Amino acid sequence: MRTRLYLLVLLALAAAAPLGAQQILRWGGDAEGGAPFVEADPRDPSKLVGFDVEIAELIASKLGRTPQFLQVQFTSLDQSAKRGDFEIGLSGIEDIPARRQSLAASIPYYEFREVLTVRDGDRGRYRSLADLKGRRVATLGGTMAYDLLLDAERTHGITAVSYDDDVHPYSDLVLGRVDGVVLDNVLADRAMRRNTGLFTHPGALAVGHYIVITAPENTALRDQVDRILREAMKDGTLEAIFKKWNVWNEDQPELYARLVNAPSTPGTPGTLGTPGTLGTLGTPGTGEKVRSYLPSLFRAALITLVLSFAAMALAVALGVLIATGRVYGDRFSRSLLTIYVEVMRGTPVLLQLFVIYYGLASMIRLPAFIAALLGLGLNYAAYESEIYRSALEAVPRGQLDAARILGFTRMQTLRLVRAPQAFRLALAPMTNDFVALLKDSSLVSMLTVVELTKQTQIFATNIGSWVIPGLLCALLYLAMSLPLGYLARRLEERWRMPTV
Amino acid sequence: MTKTSALVARGVRLKRGSREILRGVDLHAETGELVALMGLSGSGKTTMLRVIAGLEPRDAGDVSAAKVGMVFQFHYLFEHLCAIDNVTLAPTQVLGVSMIDARRRALQLLDQLGVGHRAQALPRELSGGEAQRVAIARALAVDPPLLLLDEPTASLDPARRNDLGEALLQLAKSGRALVMTSHDDDFVRDFATRVVVLANGEVVEQGDPQRILSSPQHPATKELLQIERARKK
Repeated sequence: MRTRLYLLVLLALAAAAPLGAQQILRWGGDAEGGAPFVEADPRDPSKLVGFDVEIAELIASKLGRTPQFLQVQFTSLDQSAKRGDFEIGLSGIEDIPARRQSLAASIPYYEFREVLTVRDGDRGRYRSLADLKGRRVATLGGTMAYDLLLDAERTHGITAVSYDDDVHPYSDLVLGRVDGVVLDNVLADRAMRRNTGLFTHPGALAVGHYIVITAPENTALRDQVDRILREAMKDGTLEAIFKKWNVWNEDQPELYARLVNAPSTPGTPGTLGTPGTLGTLGTPGTGEKVRSYLPSLFRAALITLVLSFAAMALAVALGVLIATGRVYGDRFSRSLLTIYVEVMRGTPVLLQLFVIYYGLASMIRLPAFIAALLGLGLNYAAYESEIYRSALEAVPRGQLDAARILGFTRMQTLRLVRAPQAFRLALAPMTNDFVALLKDSSLVSMLTVVELTKQTQIFATNIGSWVIPGLLCALLYLAMSLPLGYLARRLEERWRMPTV
Repeated sequence: MTKTSALVARGVRLKRGSREILRGVDLHAETGELVALMGLSGSGKTTMLRVIAGLEPRDAGDVSAAKVGMVFQFHYLFEHLCAIDNVTLAPTQVLGVSMIDARRRALQLLDQLGVGHRAQALPRELSGGEAQRVAIARALAVDPPLLLLDEPTASLDPARRNDLGEALLQLAKSGRALVMTSHDDDFVRDFATRVVVLANGEVVEQGDPQRILSSPQHPATKELLQIERARKK
């Protein structure tokens, strides 16, 4: 009896073991990237579909493990892999030297072409980046395509516009906000199916590859992945997956032939046979890389500064009007202004930015910078108006009575007595708000404005580390906000009315 | 100097909610007079001043007053301006007097009131008495024939009180009518030319300060004096 019970326990343990934590393969990707890479199944959103999903499942099954998906934002995949949030990452991750240096990267499993898409009517006019001199060309930030466009800014005089997703570059192309989009052929094909009136030039501006990433120390797993990928290239499994997702083409057999016969340690297969300018991506020392990014970081800091000052100027002007209206206006204008303030304070500024830039696009097509300025300015006006209103009301009634008896009109009382004192009271909270605005301005990267935080993110993604870019970014923000705080304190000291 | 009426108020009534603050007050003041309004807290004396100044709407009655200047109990100087700028603001902005003339006149007024040396000080840097006198200078700068003062001795020590009393009498003699509220019977006896006692929003007694404050007739006046005597002990 006792022996049988013992055996049962053993059996149960043996059965439970394969379901243990060790048997799960956590893989990271960005489901927002969408089809055909990783997306929620339209028929059952709790399931993921896409060729990257199938490749992850293939790798897991060959390792004898169960795949488990972890959602990670596309631009954070590298950092997340390094931290060990997941074991393998794949989500249309591009093979770039910086990534290969900072992570363990697999052999490429797919070769893509960077292609130029324009509006149908411009297909004869804009055939290359050189034709787009002086025009705005969009892409997804933190990608090879973005680096390609940054190069083209220098060589062809285009303006590179970075988006956080791959859908809006094409919809803005249709709207005429940009005149071209450079992205890989997989994304371009998808956009062509979604939008009408677009044309993609067949020629490749550059060639790149998708890879699987693992944490830098996990080369053993990487080697296993390489082995599995090579096998899948030989036995046609990869071909079947890509054919199923309609992305198989004649570039792949050539890539596979090269890789299957190559020695097992991957060299730098990144940009084999590149016809474009990606050669400049070759990355020497970190110092040089940092130096090469400094000018763009300073430019981005300038954009942050100009945007913040302009938005604050708008917020102050509007805030004064709102506050005056709320203190002096009739019942109707008072309640109208109260509604404005509560709506602007009660909803996220990010939502307001989206509505102004994308939501109003069918009525008025604001340039990104103007939309950003308006969004931040209109939002902060609500906060400023509250500061001014309470500052106006903090001026003692008795002073207003005194002014009235002395013969001042209401306007004169506001201008000569109430406003100057209210301004002194408002100064400290205003400075606070300005510093907050300086930092909130990073939200406008959602509208393709590359300001300091966005540029830092691009910088960090490309050199594969947040340490130096993060430090530089923090220093630049402090360099902008500290003098303001100092100035405000000086003014406050000068204006402070000393007690007896 | 011919006496002319700077203030004639008749039957002034004012209600706040269901409470009657003023119940038909008659008050007049001629140039050269320093009229003291006395009464317990809540008798309506400050409210009466505010009605005369046009700061409170009245429910009934007539007020015909010359141009009014007013000095508040808490001085309410403009905190962001120094003493002399407080005095010149109304003449330059309301009357269109040139800055040079306004400053000359302001310095003259400040000197006259004994605070000329504080012309550049901010209100918060002034003592209570100094601020009081700057506030008087500010009110006088627009040359009002009628000057209202709410408890002018409240922030003064006894020595300063006499200076102020002399200054006020001087102002009255130079062709103005002054109406002040006060609870200080000594000050009123020494300087006022006439006293008006208010109780529950009505005038209960008025006349020569010496006579009324030495032998009060109305119970409200007696109570007022008792309380004041007790307070001073």
